[in-house]
Amino acid sequence: MNSKLAVAVAAFTLHLGATAHAAEVKIGITVPLTGFAAADGKSALEGAKLAVAHANAAGGINGQQIQLVTYDDQASPKEAAPAATKLIEKDKVIAGVGGSYSASARAAAPLFQAAKVPYVVAYSIHPDVTLAGNYVFRTATMGEVQGRAGAKLSSDLAKKRVVIITLKNDFGQALAAGYKDAAPKFGLEIIKEYEYSIQDRQFGALIAKVKSDNPELIYASGYYFTAGPLVNQLRAAGVTVPIIGQEGYDSEKFIEIAGAAAEGTLVTTSLDRDSASPVTAKFLKEFRAATGIGADMVAASTYTATSIVIEGLKQTGGKGGEALRKAIEIGGFNTPIGTITFNDLHEVKKDVQVQIVKDKAFRRHSVISDPVVLAPPTKAK
Amino acid sequence: MDYEISLATTMAISVLFALSLNLITGFCGQISLGHAAFLGVGAYTSGMLVKAGIPFLLTLPLAMLFSGVLGIVVGLASLRVRADFLAITTMGVGFLFVGVVRQQEIFGAEMGISIVADPGLSKPEFMLLSVALAAATALFSTYVRRCWMGRVFGAIGEDEDTVRVLGIDVPLFKLTAFAIGTALAGLAGGLYAQHLKLIAPDSFGFIESVTVLSMVVVGGIGSVTGVAISAAVLSVLPSWFQFIGDYKLLVYGGLLFLMMRFSPGGMAALVIRLSRSLGKGAK
Amino acid sequence: MLFVELAAQGLVQGSIYALIALGLTLVYGLLRILHVAHAAFFTLGGYVGVLVANQTGSLAAAIFAAMMVAGVGGILAFRLCYQPILDQPPFVPLIASIGLYIAAEELFRIVFGAQGLTYRNEFLQGQVVLFDFLRFKHAEVVVMLGSAAIIGVLSLLQIRTRIGIACQATVSDPQMAESFGVSRRMVGDINFFVGSALAAFAGVMVSLLNNLVEPTMGSVPSYKALAIIVLGGLGSTRGALAASLVLGVVESFGTVYLGQLLDRNAIAFAFLIMILMWRPHGLFARR
Repeated sequence: MNSKLAVAVAAFTLHLGATAHAAEVKIGITVPLTGFAAADGKSALEGAKLAVAHANAAGGINGQQIQLVTYDDQASPKEAAPAATKLIEKDKVIAGVGGSYSASARAAAPLFQAAKVPYVVAYSIHPDVTLAGNYVFRTATMGEVQGRAGAKLSSDLAKKRVVIITLKNDFGQALAAGYKDAAPKFGLEIIKEYEYSIQDRQFGALIAKVKSDNPELIYASGYYFTAGPLVNQLRAAGVTVPIIGQEGYDSEKFIEIAGAAAEGTLVTTSLDRDSASPVTAKFLKEFRAATGIGADMVAASTYTATSIVIEGLKQTGGKGGEALRKAIEIGGFNTPIGTITFNDLHEVKKDVQVQIVKDKAFRRHSVISDPVVLAPPTKAK
Repeated sequence: MDYEISLATTMAISVLFALSLNLITGFCGQISLGHAAFLGVGAYTSGMLVKAGIPFLLTLPLAMLFSGVLGIVVGLASLRVRADFLAITTMGVGFLFVGVVRQQEIFGAEMGISIVADPGLSKPEFMLLSVALAAATALFSTYVRRCWMGRVFGAIGEDEDTVRVLGIDVPLFKLTAFAIGTALAGLAGGLYAQHLKLIAPDSFGFIESVTVLSMVVVGGIGSVTGVAISAAVLSVLPSWFQFIGDYKLLVYGGLLFLMMRFSPGGMAALVIRLSRSLGKGAK
Repeated sequence: MLFVELAAQGLVQGSIYALIALGLTLVYGLLRILHVAHAAFFTLGGYVGVLVANQTGSLAAAIFAAMMVAGVGGILAFRLCYQPILDQPPFVPLIASIGLYIAAEELFRIVFGAQGLTYRNEFLQGQVVLFDFLRFKHAEVVVMLGSAAIIGVLSLLQIRTRIGIACQATVSDPQMAESFGVSRRMVGDINFFVGSALAAFAGVMVSLLNNLVEPTMGSVPSYKALAIIVLGGLGSTRGALAASLVLGVVESFGTVYLGQLLDRNAIAFAFLIMILMWRPHGLFARR
């Protein structure tokens, strides 16, 4: 009798211990908290934290609270790879969210793939990311697709002669590639393409040359800390033609820096400030309440990526691995950046929002939903 | 276990890289602020050759060769200028390397090169290889220091003019130091490329050069043991203490400054001072 | 037409470089140290400028505050950081300075945030048009005229006043100057104060041009300024000025025409290396 009791007590204690140990579901995220991309990293982290907070407030996953394990990758592959390894092997996360730039995502993705841990990338747009394998998903519109959307927008504006100003990194170059690819189909003539590096803030010489090219439209890629000064200086130099930017501009900081010069700038992005969708409006409101600043594309995308992981986990009852992968793969998700489904290459199929800066804020301009233009690459490529 | 193996490999590669700089800076007194460029040359050479199908182990000697040759070219520049100028010139070389690699498609431009090919070694085997090479470099450095070449290196570091007057071919020794140091950096680069599986221009820039220099400085310029230990510790410090993650660079900068301000001989000098004062106390 | 515009842009950039390089030259001429941390005063100037301008609404107050704070900071850097290690081999102050700069940059990020600060009012954003096609922002004109004026005044001070002569004497022959009663420490204080204040002025101007102050805004000037003073011939004020303007113009044309081959920094350093191979002591070396 005693031995049976002892065994029962032991088993019960063990069970308690095991449950206490597994009381939390761990989701890993890598973001640039230091280095040149620190501003975006902070924004991304806030988006992810909000998603986790929401889910935990609603009871978590099957009663278990979600823990967000965060590592700083400095937007560098050198840091991203060890960070991913730590998440997978030391923290044993059930899924990963990529809240960093493309170089980091490209370094981390193969590691998650090899470990069969689902990895949802929020806003890196380099094509190689999803080529790592079927455990990798991307919620951002790929660079090439965005570029093509930009070309369509240019033609919609009835402009023909274009100058391209490209940020010299994988982000800018992916966008430019898409734009240049689609340009002939829309009858656009690209006069010249100029490149600048991510540290540049003064574009005097470049702008002088662009002025002499006399374009009808400028397609310029960059982040808010390069695009802000660029647009400001372009207008100051007397350039009045329309400027099309992309989601790198999508931040209140851009408007703050460029000042009055920002008015009228068009941006292809994922976040529609004027969206009728209640999910988007709720997200915008709650983000501002939680952080005191307005949400930008990075925050919205990372919130979305995290929510998709959480949704998937809810459906699998907290199980990861193959089950989670399948759940994300076949799911349709209603998120602040639109309704998301994935194709066979785990790229998203969603509309591209075009926003315009009016009265110092991003407002809706139009939506591009042309399926041919927006078709993401598939495995059958 | 996998995570620890990964960590050990990182440490070994950093030690190898730091020791290679120690040969140039520590033994011969030549300040190089662009050493990461040679890491880069080795990494790109090995990475691109592996992609072309050449077996990994074979690419390593080639990586060393390319880096060493480039080292000689830069070394020739070092002959014309001295001390402070040399620091700036090597810094310029670093920027040039990154600037060129960034632009050319064959090097993958901004996006870099992904290495999907297998090195033919398992992770533990790769770690052992890295550790073995690092240890070999440490032994080699110690040997060089003890032998006559090392003595000349040391003398050049202390007082170049006198050495010249003695009839020793200073330029030749300087060049040799550069060649050996950069070749070893190239070796580290080859390992680095395989370890990280992705080589991008940003990994070989000015910050990287300053980081490896700080490892040498903190360890104690010229001290093989000091540099090896400081490189091993500094390379994985942020991983061990996640809480300093956000303050990582602040710690680096602060450490560099405090070390130079209060103990220019690095940890090695601190240890010597401590052991001396302890010895005195014991009396 | 384009050429003139490019040259004009080059002069604007060059003027900014000159303001920063001048401080560096003063320090090197006196102490033979490559004061990499100099760029931290550039950034500090930017931050103080923005904060004061946003608080008081006055640009003049902002500039004055920035220059004073940086000047005092410079003296502190001299007394606490450099003076104690002057007798060490040259790499020691160099690396100490690099460490100091990295730490400063990180402190800016931790204290003020990574996102950066912007001006609430639009200062000096108005336009000036010359010859129908050359457009300058007021801020750009101020930079060019400002640096010309400052350098002119400094040169005059160096020649005409007792303090100026004392500084020059300390640079050429420290022992002789000391025996005449010139305090090395006072000369050091003056050089650091003036140099840092100039860098701060440049920082305010650049932050106006970009409408952005970031923790990393000093990193490019930190090593560019080094390249410039080497190019000009270490210790030569005139050399630093000439090298700054030349580099500004070279970069201006280079980024437009060589942009496909090399990025901006690489162009600057390629140019530097070429010149150094031809003239190892810099363009205007004293010896």
